[in-house]
Amino acid sequence: MGGGFRVLHLVRPFLSFLPEVQTADRKVPFREKVIYTVISLFIFLVCSQLPLYGIHSTTGADPFYWMRVILASNRGTVMELGITPIVTSGLVMQLLAGSKIIEVDNNVREDRALLNGAQKLLGILIAVGEAVAYVLSGMYGSVGQLGVGNAILIIIQLCFAGIIVICLDELLQKGYGLGSGISLFIATNICENIIWKAFSPTTINSGRGAEFEGAVIALFHLLITRTDKVRALREAFYRQNLPNVTNLLATVLIFLIVIYFQGFRVVLPVRSKNARGQQGSYPIKLFYTSNMPIILQSALVSNLYFISQLLHRKYSGNFFVDLLGKWKDSEYGGGQSVPVGGIAYYITAPSSLADMAANPFHALFYLVFMLSACALFSKTWIEVSGSSARDVAKQLKEQQMVMPGHRESNLQKELNRYIPTAAAFGGMCIGALTVLADFMGAIGSGTGILLAVTIIYQYFETFEKERASELGFFGF
Amino acid sequence: MARGTSQSANSAATTRPGVMAPRGSAAATAGMRRRRLGGGGTSSASVSGASGAGSNMLRFYTDDAPGLKISPTVVLVMSLCFIGFVTALHVFGKLYRYRSGAAV
Repeated sequence: MGGGFRVLHLVRPFLSFLPEVQTADRKVPFREKVIYTVISLFIFLVCSQLPLYGIHSTTGADPFYWMRVILASNRGTVMELGITPIVTSGLVMQLLAGSKIIEVDNNVREDRALLNGAQKLLGILIAVGEAVAYVLSGMYGSVGQLGVGNAILIIIQLCFAGIIVICLDELLQKGYGLGSGISLFIATNICENIIWKAFSPTTINSGRGAEFEGAVIALFHLLITRTDKVRALREAFYRQNLPNVTNLLATVLIFLIVIYFQGFRVVLPVRSKNARGQQGSYPIKLFYTSNMPIILQSALVSNLYFISQLLHRKYSGNFFVDLLGKWKDSEYGGGQSVPVGGIAYYITAPSSLADMAANPFHALFYLVFMLSACALFSKTWIEVSGSSARDVAKQLKEQQMVMPGHRESNLQKELNRYIPTAAAFGGMCIGALTVLADFMGAIGSGTGILLAVTIIYQYFETFEKERASELGFFGF
Repeated sequence: MARGTSQSANSAATTRPGVMAPRGSAAATAGMRRRRLGGGGTSSASVSGASGAGSNMLRFYTDDAPGLKISPTVVLVMSLCFIGFVTALHVFGKLYRYRSGAAV
């Protein structure tokens, strides 16, 4: 008890310096919420296009290429760090609190405040640390090239961007906006990517004349310019180096499938004990843990990639390093490397169906890895986040709800029949959908699509609830 | 008729929607789905307490903490100022480089 408490209390002196958005003291109307959300989104989008001042170059391999999708970051811009600081600090604190290394009593007001403060402080520290590490590691050119003044300016810009993201997220969560900033930013980043890949007007010359990057634009361009229409169609549908129409259709298909699956749920009837006639239902969704399994899985994989790439660059040839992963520069450029051997290769999606047929073992291993990792993470997550059968039973008991036809002590057992199964099976489904998306070559990687769809679906639910709550006042 | 229309009427006002919040939303939906038939709901207020701070990794800052209080408008203005500042840096950087280039 003593040690844990002291750790939290270390934060107290800093508490008064941390920026803190006021809680809304009135109910913010729906329209106002939408306005706040849109402005925050606008700020985020501008920041992720605005180049950093003072950088020398952003060429060379990009070790964070794999993480960019889930971290909503853009290379060489003010949003270089994206939501990394906030997510990392949240994950660390969650794990520390979940594993009881830091003891937090959620019923004590001060403890909650301290935990929030600690999370924010850690986020800012991570932002500072990462900014310094980026500059010193020479990602924007060596410090000598940049000059000390510019180096400090870059660090300040990155830190301040980190603080702004933290503040925006807090602003949205404190009731001024819809949903959470983090998910909003991730979804926007992915959707932007998809729209860009579909309609990008950039032309690229790859030896066969200028081609448009955007799939839809390229389709029309090819159909109009080429004389052989069938060849043109085939080209638009199956070109390998640039996004093609099949990719786009696969993306749409995955969107629809995920939304269809979101509706799957088991509804348990519950009824209030002390207010007679108050009854309702407790739905257990198939995607019980929503997108958490893939967030955790991709966090794991991207960290592994990062370490493996660093090791491979320094010590390639070592047996263990090669076992972890062998890397080669991608033939399509873009400064990204692709894994060609070792564990990193086997946990990467095969790049195409042809590749899958050529290496069936790779495809099989990838499939098994994804399914088991997602199921496992999903099951772990319900324990860590406090949504396991025991916790839900406790919550329902606190709200004086019982299941008709079952004794109160039986509640947990009854929930236990559904929740772990839903978590594990839902995680597996999410994993399977990710694999499917990857195999079909959906734009923006399977993980990205799944994240985007689940977040957008949650936003729709939020919209509905908000609307219902506004209308509800008239209904009464 | 009242069953349908009054569903999720007053509990929604107290619960904030949690995007990406498995536990928060689970507790919230239980509250949302509850139908009120009788008069005053005795237990409806307790729903909002279910999703406490730190219940989900992507949902921090649910409580008021002592700290540098800033209003939401200040946050937005601050971010816009930051964007303006970086843009200004770019502009001045270009001008400076242009001038020093001309002088040499």
